[in-house]
Amino acid sequence: MLRTIVLTALFLAMSLGGGIASVWYALNTNRSFGAISYGVWVAYPDAGTPDADPYSTARRARDAELSLGQAEGLPFYAKTDSDGRTLLGRCNYRLDGSVPAARFWTLHVADLALNPIEAPPLRNTALHSRQLLRAADNAFTIRIGPDAAPGNWISVSSPASVVFVLTLYDTPIATTVTAERGDFPVIVRTGCRDA
Amino acid sequence: MLRLIYTVMLGLVGAVVVHIAVLLLVPAYSAHDAWARLSERASAFQVTKIAEAGGNDAFSKGADPLFASIACRFALGTGIAHFVAGGDVPFWSVSVYDRRGQNIYSFNDRTATDRKLDLVIATPVQMVELRKELPDEYAASIFVETEEREGIVVARAFVPDESWSGIVEAFLESAECRQE
Repeated sequence: MLRTIVLTALFLAMSLGGGIASVWYALNTNRSFGAISYGVWVAYPDAGTPDADPYSTARRARDAELSLGQAEGLPFYAKTDSDGRTLLGRCNYRLDGSVPAARFWTLHVADLALNPIEAPPLRNTALHSRQLLRAADNAFTIRIGPDAAPGNWISVSSPASVVFVLTLYDTPIATTVTAERGDFPVIVRTGCRDA
Repeated sequence: MLRLIYTVMLGLVGAVVVHIAVLLLVPAYSAHDAWARLSERASAFQVTKIAEAGGNDAFSKGADPLFASIACRFALGTGIAHFVAGGDVPFWSVSVYDRRGQNIYSFNDRTATDRKLDLVIATPVQMVELRKELPDEYAASIFVETEEREGIVVARAFVPDESWSGIVEAFLESAECRQE
């Protein structure tokens, strides 16, 4: 008799506890199915649509998100530099290269919860393609970090890890066209301030 | 011993069942989804600002600090929803979400006639009625047909720099969300 009760309790604890804890864990890790990635840049084109997987649907409902539609734009997230090291708010980075076809694009820095990190007053929190300084061959270099730099610079000073968010607006990548890895900027770490 | 192993295996199967059930129930029972949070801010057919340029956007993770946006909840029970705004801004885009916050339709200023934001949302039945004799005021409208009875419209506008913020502000403030 006692053995039955203990085994039933074990079964209930395992199924309820395990089931609920695993959902909680899955919703808190930011992984998602249906990701497309080009180098370090990752996007979730299905997020927020009826085609999204149940995990991202549940996460979005919980976070009260209204994500960008396919005719609006598509955000790409980078969490590491091109050598695979986590992006840090106290380090300086250089972004080189190009960006795939889009009407315009914006770049900003966010914390791990994806809230934008605001720059100090009178400094750029974000850059967009229509204000960039470009070289004669249309290439550009963007510097992101705590140390002031000439040219295109986003001022970031944060003790924590950061995420670079590159959002392409009115882009065919959201629906039909596929890009190539080389179409996206490379992220190079150029130095760090001491922690 | 055998019964213990049996119970553990059964517990694992149970955990999988509970996992799937909870996962599928979260969207339906989430008390703080976008709809609920918008309801706290504004009544239906009332335009409310959800993000300002440079600030955080409570309704979109990874939202662009160079964008300002407004939202309006609509219901199609007694009439169609008409959403309009006018102004010359560099870029605007609109998304229509269903009651659960899923994006069902989106477009941008290149889709619109004369780049004017003029959107009509109707159910298929209302659409049939509307098409019989299309009023002139809808001649330039973009029509979205949906089976959903309730939903959210969000308009987002690009603020390239601070000198644009007044113009974009005026565009978003000109927005009207009406039941007709």
